[in-house]
Amino acid sequence: MDAVVVDVGTKLLKSGFAVPDQPPSMVIPTQMKRLPVDESLTDSSSLENVIVNPVVRGFIRDWDAMEDLLSHVLYTGLGWEIGNEGQILFAEPLATPKAVREQLVQLMFEKFNISGFFASEQAVLSLYAVGRISGCTVDIGHAKMDIASVIEGAVQHISSRRFEIGGLDLTNLFAQELGVFNPHVNLSISDVEKLKEQYACCSEDAAAYRRFQQGCPEEQHTLPDGQVIKIGGERYTVGEALFQPSILGLEAHGIVEQLVRCISTVSTENHRQLLENTVLCGGTASMAGFEDRFQKEAAVSSSAIRPCLVKAPEYMPDNLTSNSAWVGGAILAKVVFPQNQHLTKADYDENGPSIIHRKCF
Amino acid sequence: MLFDSDEVSAIVVDLGSHTCKAGYAGEDAPKAVFPSVVGSIDGMEIDDADNANMNSGSTPDSKSKGKSKFYVGSQDLGYRRDHMEVLSPMKDGVVVDWDMVENIWDHALRKCLLIDPKEHPMLFAESCSNSQQQREKTAEIMFEKYQVPALFLAKNAVLTSFASGRATSLVVDCGGGSTTVAPVQDGYVLQKAVSTSPIGGDFLSDCLLKSLESKGLPIKPRYAFKRKEVRPGEFQIVDLDLPNTTESYKLYSQRVIVSDIKECVCRAPDTPYDDTSYSNIPMTPYELPDGQTIEIGADRFKIPDILFNPSLALTIPGMENSIETTSSAHGLPQMVIESISKCDVDIRRELYSSILLSGGTASMQQLKERLEKDLLEESPQAARVKVLASGNATERRFSVWIGGSILASLGSFQQMWFSKSEFEEHGASYIQRKCP
Repeated sequence: MDAVVVDVGTKLLKSGFAVPDQPPSMVIPTQMKRLPVDESLTDSSSLENVIVNPVVRGFIRDWDAMEDLLSHVLYTGLGWEIGNEGQILFAEPLATPKAVREQLVQLMFEKFNISGFFASEQAVLSLYAVGRISGCTVDIGHAKMDIASVIEGAVQHISSRRFEIGGLDLTNLFAQELGVFNPHVNLSISDVEKLKEQYACCSEDAAAYRRFQQGCPEEQHTLPDGQVIKIGGERYTVGEALFQPSILGLEAHGIVEQLVRCISTVSTENHRQLLENTVLCGGTASMAGFEDRFQKEAAVSSSAIRPCLVKAPEYMPDNLTSNSAWVGGAILAKVVFPQNQHLTKADYDENGPSIIHRKCF
Repeated sequence: MLFDSDEVSAIVVDLGSHTCKAGYAGEDAPKAVFPSVVGSIDGMEIDDADNANMNSGSTPDSKSKGKSKFYVGSQDLGYRRDHMEVLSPMKDGVVVDWDMVENIWDHALRKCLLIDPKEHPMLFAESCSNSQQQREKTAEIMFEKYQVPALFLAKNAVLTSFASGRATSLVVDCGGGSTTVAPVQDGYVLQKAVSTSPIGGDFLSDCLLKSLESKGLPIKPRYAFKRKEVRPGEFQIVDLDLPNTTESYKLYSQRVIVSDIKECVCRAPDTPYDDTSYSNIPMTPYELPDGQTIEIGADRFKIPDILFNPSLALTIPGMENSIETTSSAHGLPQMVIESISKCDVDIRRELYSSILLSGGTASMQQLKERLEKDLLEESPQAARVKVLASGNATERRFSVWIGGSILASLGSFQQMWFSKSEFEEHGASYIQRKCP
């Protein structure tokens, strides 16, 4: 049986069997609803469904909810049988605290009784997906953004950085902007999320953005409940916020400048290798026009060596940007498990959860 | 109090005068490395008027205690803000501003490592000249504000010694702010033989900066220019005029670029530097962030030689005012010999044969060979001089941190922690007994 690869994101959980060159078979939202089970409650107001987010800003926080989610994914979704669990590979975000990793290992071995476990950082996996072992990744997710540099499969923590902004903040910005021009329309966050995915894009450069702010052709969109909204220059604001974080109210440089500064802390002999193998990943990075704008900004960045984006190999599935960590995990799973480099049940029983720091890094 | 090293991972923090290193014990490199300076913007609006009305005898400190906003970490410092001053909380290797240091610790623990200090014992590396008062203050802040379960303070030299697996050695720590030579015997620093010099990596960077400026090669900080695409494929540099940038911020940004130049290009010369013999050296090119390429010739060897001959710094135009720094400083070989001669005769031989190099400046190329050569010339005849430095530049830079990581993960160390209950029972002064 093939190993299972799981990439738990703040918004989407990507999972599937490790079949290379294929997108994940199961992509479901991580957000869950807690339904009260107790029938003795007669008060109807306490029967509200509570929205639960087990993953907050990339890290797993609610372990009970996570357990439920994983058992749904593994047993119901992927068809594992109780008593015959296989091997699993997890993709973790950058700078995961040690305690979180240990808890995950404990959960997998004790509750799920898996036979083999491996965990690797998303940055390394994204590079494997495009066929590289060294380079830097710019991973723009739903609730966090990681800029990581990897040399020969090892993340250089000193020159990697994590930012607590992502698609979620862009959605809030979009909602705010739409509210200004369409004050009569009632929008829920999930509607805005869908609108953002459909309409948001990046302008060609800063000058083009300024032109769009002054005048831009408006589009009309009909919401499922019948309301009609007009979307004008706000769609470009969302993309621009990544390059000019002052739009979000943050005092920081644009994403390309951050990348260049992070890399400048690494010793100079590695700069070329890192910057010329830059990979964009994450759902938010698949915004229309983002890649072109990134390359344009890279050309005017304050660095001698310009960041160059890597082209994904042709045999890879189309939406590689959103799923690169999962695809890289599938590739890694094909190497790690047959060669017995993973964590087995025997290892765990003998050494306890802290063995993960020694075997998977 | 015993802590099971398997379940709870200690955190090792080394706050130097140039960079702060923090990470988990047991790992081979710190995860959080960032400059140990803070950007501060004084909120001086109301305080100023009040101070003017008060008596003129009010100290200047009362103004800045008002509302200063601190920015820590290379990302926040890298963003240019109006009126942001870059300040260092340390002076001569010891802490003077505890507010800033707390901000730095917060940043390292909460933002970079993402941990809760309540759950992890902390090992701090301290300089050899740390006073009892400083140690008590550290203990107080750690136990009362951060509520750590256990604490230990270890001297830098001892940790470097452990990192190389030796209990007795002479540690030459060439750091950013200063250079310290300290002999360690059986895990204890011999205080009377410690010698320090204010010549450190930062001083060398300043010398290089002044030297380049005097040659007409100004270093443009990253925030001061923008690259524009004039025609497809052709770029032009546009200078930005930002009048509210403070001098200290400009100096900080320039230092970052110049230290990179220094790390790439500088080498310790094989013989003492003099202008005539090094005047025909071929120049090495270096590309600055704004695309300009500069050529560096004799400076490649002149700057590192300042470590061996501090008075050389006075010959650089612009550094004449550093006369108090350089007059009291001795070159590295002299410091080593001075230090060893203050020790007991019996251990001198052992110290000569295990001289350890650590610190960022020590990873300069050829420094080890030059030091060995100079020491062989000047040391007593019978001594066998051996300078050891790990080959890997990262290991040399973080050797104090690595020593801490090794120490905190040893099984036999677990009973030596200064625990919270001991602090509550005996008070902060007990730290002197627990952490010698």
